[in-house]
Order: sequence, then structure tokens, then C-alpha cells
Amino acid sequence: MTASTPVAEPTGGAGSVPSPRAGGSLRAFVKGGGLVRWTGRTGALIPVLALGFILAVLVVEAIPAIRYNGLHFFTKSIWDEGTGYNSRIVTTNGVKHLTGADYGALPEIAGTLITSAIALIVGVPISIGAALFIVERLPRRLANGVGIFLELLAGIPSVIIGLWGALTFGPFIAHHITPVIARNMPDVPVLDFFRGSTGNGEGELTSGLILAIMIIPIVAATSRDLIRQVPILPREGAVALGMSDAQTARKVTLPWVGAGIVGAVVLGLARALGETMAVAMTCGVALGAVSSNIYGTMTTIAATIVTYLDTAFLDGSGFAVRTIAELALILMVITLAVNVAARLMTRRVSGTPLPIGAGF
Amino acid sequence: MSTAADPASSPEASAERTASIAPTVTAAAQQPYDDSAVALSAVDLTLSFGQHTILSNITADIRRGAVTALIGPTGSGKTTLLRTFNRMNDKVSGYRHDGDVLIDGRSIWHPGLELTSLRRRVGMLFQRPNPFPMSILDNVVAGVRAHKMAGKPAMKSIAEQHLTEVGLWAAVKDRLKDSPFRLSGGQQQLLCLARALAIQPDVLLLDEPTSSLDPNATESIEALVRTLVPDITVVIVTHNLAQAVRIADRTIFLNKGRLVEHGPTKQLFENPAEEETANYVGGRFG
Ligand SMILES: Nc1ncnc2c1ncn2[C@@H]1O[C@H](COP(=O)(O)OP(=O)(O)OP(=O)(O)O)[C@@H](O)[C@H]1O
Ligand SMILES: [Mg+2]
Repeated sequence: MTASTPVAEPTGGAGSVPSPRAGGSLRAFVKGGGLVRWTGRTGALIPVLALGFILAVLVVEAIPAIRYNGLHFFTKSIWDEGTGYNSRIVTTNGVKHLTGADYGALPEIAGTLITSAIALIVGVPISIGAALFIVERLPRRLANGVGIFLELLAGIPSVIIGLWGALTFGPFIAHHITPVIARNMPDVPVLDFFRGSTGNGEGELTSGLILAIMIIPIVAATSRDLIRQVPILPREGAVALGMSDAQTARKVTLPWVGAGIVGAVVLGLARALGETMAVAMTCGVALGAVSSNIYGTMTTIAATIVTYLDTAFLDGSGFAVRTIAELALILMVITLAVNVAARLMTRRVSGTPLPIGAGF
Repeated sequence: MSTAADPASSPEASAERTASIAPTVTAAAQQPYDDSAVALSAVDLTLSFGQHTILSNITADIRRGAVTALIGPTGSGKTTLLRTFNRMNDKVSGYRHDGDVLIDGRSIWHPGLELTSLRRRVGMLFQRPNPFPMSILDNVVAGVRAHKMAGKPAMKSIAEQHLTEVGLWAAVKDRLKDSPFRLSGGQQQLLCLARALAIQPDVLLLDEPTSSLDPNATESIEALVRTLVPDITVVIVTHNLAQAVRIADRTIFLNKGRLVEHGPTKQLFENPAEEETANYVGGRFG
């Protein structure tokens, strides 16, 4: 009825800072405190070092590929390591490769971005809607039950979801849903991407939806925990002002934890960008071509890396593996860019009007 | 109905009753009031949460254009009664009510009266300030936007008008885009008042609006409340009996969920009709 949270101020989901421990017999704790601080600092450094190390290794591995493949790597759709009867190892600009090696990762990059976009467009509204529903409509016990269900869903190995997608889900939508959409979609720019052959259920849409299913538990559970933290007082204020439930959610509840919600979405996006197995199993076979519609077979960076790595090792010049490293570097950069963008966005959204914590 | 709850036991109230309301409770519930002196009325209202009866047989007419104070000991049901007027209790688990509450003679639970429009007409200010997580300007016009009461270009001037009305304009005019959470508690409460006033309510419900504020902020809120009448009908819950005396035209004394006495403030404090009232106000006052 009345608010129970003492601080009626949005946190933006930032972790609260523990209050410093009260002083006391200092001497006795100097050593322990010093140790704790020292361990803490090293602990804080490890992620930074790990990130730097991984990036460095990738860059070193990828540099020859970057030099040989050039900017065309981002615009061409071809995957030809140059193997064949007369292929020999040659050196161009100091980079060893097979004759005729020609790579362009446009399909992989496009596939990664499109499937992740589908996952977000479908998954985020469902997740946030579900989180709001769980917190505001369900009685506590039922809410806990649904929470356990979400955790179970999040814990299913992706290979199992991939198998389900390939055997059941993909064929189902290919037979019952996508033909209807494809037939009724008007033939205008953008929407014509939804027209045409719908294939057998292996492809972009299936992979995107599978990814949506995989990010829903993460985004929903995180959003639910955030929404639970929103104090009752501002929400009641909105209700008392005659706002509808939807208006209250959009104007008060969600913005209260806005930075945290963006964080939850980025968490989901990072998962979607990097998810490998389930996509590799549901995307079909399409090395070196961009799908002409949303139902077509395609591939992502992650799926290409995992399915192609074995073959790449057969390239005696080692260039195929370097190209794989370049792909991995691109994925890494995309993921980092998403994180940085999210941080900038929350700062812009919350900077002036909201006293939101430093991050999530 | 409890005998103590009969406001007719005071002479002046009795004169008003005959003058103003329909002769019987049932008639009042069935016919629209033709009396414009009553803004809100509880008619034999009984309310319970689960097994607990919180309010019993409350009958009271809230006079239009006046400030009515709700006083009574902790747990007596003041907040519950106040929150019934804008139906904020409806979703509490186990909530049940008997009797009725009329606004301008019509039941607040009438299916033809939309909940959002009831709440547009019956505004509320809470015990502690509760700004929304948006800029100061957006806070003031949040309700105006939600009810689509004005177009985009008008928002700034609406905000200015109501911030001026609560005396906050000078302090915030250069920081309209800033967070409301950097304002002082008193300023935040004034902002919430401006927000409530911006949707032009007929009735304003205040639940101990100054209990978290310092004396200066309290004074400015009290002064403001006096300027709202007679355009707006004000119902204010307060533990501060001096405050009730300062700002309320009429006072209702609740005890253990029953309405003990309802009358002009001066009379209720100086010459209460009920012994229960005398014990409550007498112990602390005069
Ligand atoms: N949501 C609820 N569910 C169950 N019981 C409630 C609820 N809200 C209030 N009550 C009970 O109703 C009774 C009246 O509470 P209410 O808050 O209306 O009292 P009050 O007069 O406003 O008290 P105070 O002066 O302390 O604010 C109390 O016994 C309280 O425990
Ligand atoms: Mg109360």
C-alpha cells in the first residue's frame, strides 16, 4: 500500500555501493585490509588483461589476412581458399597463401547482423512484456514458478535447442507460417525481403527466431529483477494520475531502471551475436552467398568459424586459418562496439534528466 | 450504522444535512444529487481487506470547494478512506466494499465512469514526494500528456503556469530539463503538486503531504492548499492537529475504522460533540 523502499530514486540498475565499514581497531585489520585490497585490484585487472591478450592474439593472427583480403573482405561474397589441382603456395606482399585464394565475408557479417536483429526485434518486446507481467500481474508464488522455468530455459544447451530448431521448429514454420507471410507480403522495397521461396525451414528467419528464444530467458529474467526494484511510490503516482498500465510501464517503471534494461538487452545481443551451435544447425549451407530473402539459407560469423575450421586447417599455406582469425576479430569488434554504444546510449538517455549510476 | 457516526448530532451539521442531502441514504444512492455543495460522498461505506474490516459504515459528505481534514489515530483507516476516493484500493488483495462513494452524485464504481477519467478528476499527493524519472518539465506535464489534454506546443506554457502556481518557477526555470531528484524534498513535493494540478482535478487528495518536510516547506504547502479552494475540493489526511486547525474548514475524526465525528473544524476541536473526539483532540490540543 505505501512504499517500503527507503530511497525513492532510480538507480538505473547500477549495483549499489556498499557502505564503507565502520572504523574500529584499525591496526588489527591493516594487514587483512591491505590483502583484500590487493587481491581486489588484481582481480579487477584480470578481465582487462584477458581482453587485451585475446585481442592481441587475434590481431597478430589476422594481420596477414587483413593485408591480403583488404577492404573487399567486407563487400564481397565469396569463399574460395584456392585449393585445386594446380594450387601452389605463393607469397603476395609477404603473405603466404594458395593461388587463387579469394575471400569476402559479406554473407557472414550480414547474416550475423540480420539474425541478431531478428532476435532482438522479436525477443526484447516479449522479454520485457513478460517481465512486466510477472512482476505486476502474477501472484508471488506463480511468479517464482515462472522464474524457475525461465532459468531452466536459459540453461538448455544450445545444441539441443539447435536440434529442436532443425528437426521441429524450422520445418513447422516453413510449412505452416512462412508461406502465408510470403504470399501476402506486398511487393515493395524492404517488405519484398519477406517474399519469395520459403525453403525447407533452414535459414535466416529460423535462426533468428531460435536466437530470440535463446535470449528471452536472459533478457526477461534480468528485466524482471530490475523491475522488482522499482519502488511502489512513483508507480502509484502514475496510477493516481490516471495513467494506464501501459503508460505507467513506459513512462515510469521502465525508465526508472532504463540503464539496466539496456544492459539486459546488450547481454541478450551479445549472446545472439556470438551464439554458434544453434545457428550452425539451423542456418542451412550457404558459404559465400547472401540470402535473397529472409527465409533463405545463410551463415553467420560464429557458425562459419565452427563449421569451416577443420577444412581451414587443411590449407597448407595457413592462410585460411588467418582468414578465420580475421572473421573472429570482426565478431569481437562488433561485440565490443555494441557494448560501448550501449554505454554511450545510457549516458545520453539518462545523463541530464536522471541520476543514474555509472553503468550496469 | 454506529450512532457516534451520525454527523447530525451537531446542530450546525444537522442544519446542513436537511438543507443539502437527500433524506435517506438509499435515495441518495439511487438518485443523482442535485446539490452542488457536495463534491464527494461516502454512503454507508464498509471496506475490508480479507478478513479485516478496515472501514465500517462511513457516511460523509465532502463539501465542495472546502478543505476537509481527516484525522484519527494510527491505523484508524484515514489513508484507506482517502485511497478509496480515487479507487487506489481496488487492486489490493482481498479488497471488498459495501456501500458507495459518489462523485457529483454518481458512483465512482459506475461502469460508465472510466477509472482513468475518475483519477483525472480526483488527484492525489502522497506522503513522500514521488517524481517520475524524467525531466522536471516532463514531470509537470506527464498527466497532461497521458490524458492528451493539450498539444505539444502548449506543454511548456502549461508547465510554467503550474510551476508558477506552486511557487517553484523561479527556482527551476533554468533547469527544466534537469532531473527532479536533485531538487530538495520540499521542492519535489511542490513539483508533484504542480503535476497533480496540471490535469485540473476537481478534487485533490493529500495523504500527510508534509510529514516528510521541514517547517518552511510545510508552510508553503499549507499556504498553497488554501489558495486551491474554492476551485478545488481538498481532502487532507494529517496527524498534525495544528495543521488541521490551520488549513481545514471541516474535519472528520476517524477511529478504528468508524467515523466518529464530522463538522466544522473549529467546532470539532473546541466543542466536540463526542467524548471520543474530545479525548483525541483534547489530549494534545487546548
Ligand atoms: N493493503 C492492505 N492490506 C491489508 N491491510 C491493510 C492494507 N492497508 C492498510 N491495511 C490496514 O488497514 C488499517 C488502516 O490503515 P490505514 O493506512 O488506512 O491507517 P491510517 O489511519 O492511514 O494510519 P496512519 O495514520 O498510520 O497512516 C490498518 O490496520 C492497516 O493494517
Ligand atoms: Mg495513513
